Amino acid sequence: MIAASLGSGMSGCKSKKKLAREQAAAEYGRKVETAKHDLLSIINDEGNMSLQEKESKLQRVKDMNLNEPEILALIRQAEEVIDAEKEEMRRKWEEENKKKTEATSLSLADYFALVAGASSVENANMKINEALKLFATPETPVLIIISKEGDIVDYDRPTTAKKYLEYLKDQKKNLNEIDNIEYDNNGKIKLLELNKKDY
Amino acid sequence: MKRLSLILIILSGMAFGYTAQAQTDISPERKKAIDSLAMEKIRDLGKYISIIGNKQTPFSEAKRVIDRTLELFVEDAQMGVSSLARDEVTYYGIKEYLERLMLLNYDKVKIEWFNIQYISDLELQPDGRYVGVITIFQRFEGTSDDGLVYKDVTKKDITVYVERKQTQIQGKLIGFWDVLLGDIRVVETTK
Repeated sequence: MIAASLGSGMSGCKSKKKLAREQAAAEYGRKVETAKHDLLSIINDEGNMSLQEKESKLQRVKDMNLNEPEILALIRQAEEVIDAEKEEMRRKWEEENKKKTEATSLSLADYFALVAGASSVENANMKINEALKLFATPETPVLIIISKEGDIVDYDRPTTAKKYLEYLKDQKKNLNEIDNIEYDNNGKIKLLELNKKDY
Repeated sequence: MKRLSLILIILSGMAFGYTAQAQTDISPERKKAIDSLAMEKIRDLGKYISIIGNKQTPFSEAKRVIDRTLELFVEDAQMGVSSLARDEVTYYGIKEYLERLMLLNYDKVKIEWFNIQYISDLELQPDGRYVGVITIFQRFEGTSDDGLVYKDVTKKDITVYVERKQTQIQGKLIGFWDVLLGDIRVVETTK
């Protein structure tokens, strides 16, 4: 009787363990399936998912620590997709920024020429006020490069947007060309670098 | 205490040596750029003086240009003023000179600088600065309201100081050459 109940108890324990193993296996299977589904949704996405969503989905899958060759291969593919998308975004951003710089450079360069060539003080002042609207503030730093040699860049004494425009008005010469423009979040110039043309 | 003083002297000597060394190392191209920069400042000064002296320049503009001009000079720099009518040269502080120039008692004033050239190249000094002398010729023409014209040509020597400095702009360390003008001495005045 005792042996029978012991035997039945042992077999109950075994079946519980088996059940737990089966449940764990089923749970693991579900995780693998979810991970596979998520990874394929990243890989095959046709523009419905944002980059941020893809990154967080990928991270969730990585956090599952699934050591399945198929999942690991899909993770690599998903990473490649995300990297490619990031690269494309960076390229687009650079292209837009370049276009923006060129557009502003053109109008800034125009203003420089207009101020230096103004026929009267009033006219020059009007152009200065218009040009200053392109800058974050009239005190925006303007750096003038006088020489570049390897990593060594020599500048003239730093000046400001307002002072530089007034310099053009006073000296009536426009000897520097735009080398680099940095913008703030409002699209205004926060730093301007010029190159001396005559060196 | 003696030992501490000795260490300080050695350290400051090393620091000075480093500065001087860093500035003697400049290539001929960099030196040429600095020479041109200093020359440019002299040309700028000539133009500023012409604007300040010009009776057509609005008062507010002349005042603003005086401020810009002062930024070109070392503190306490002096300007020599001469005339065909007297032998002696009078020296004024730059601010006083510019204010007098703005108020000159002529109906029309025309000032022009020409033949601007180095007579003493920029040379490195023991204090780490480069110092040179640039000569200019100034043609002055003042017309009074009765039509009388005073004219002269004055040769002047301008001492130029150039110093390598550093400043931080938007987190970026900028190395720049600060050109400052010293005394402007009258060499001769002719018709």
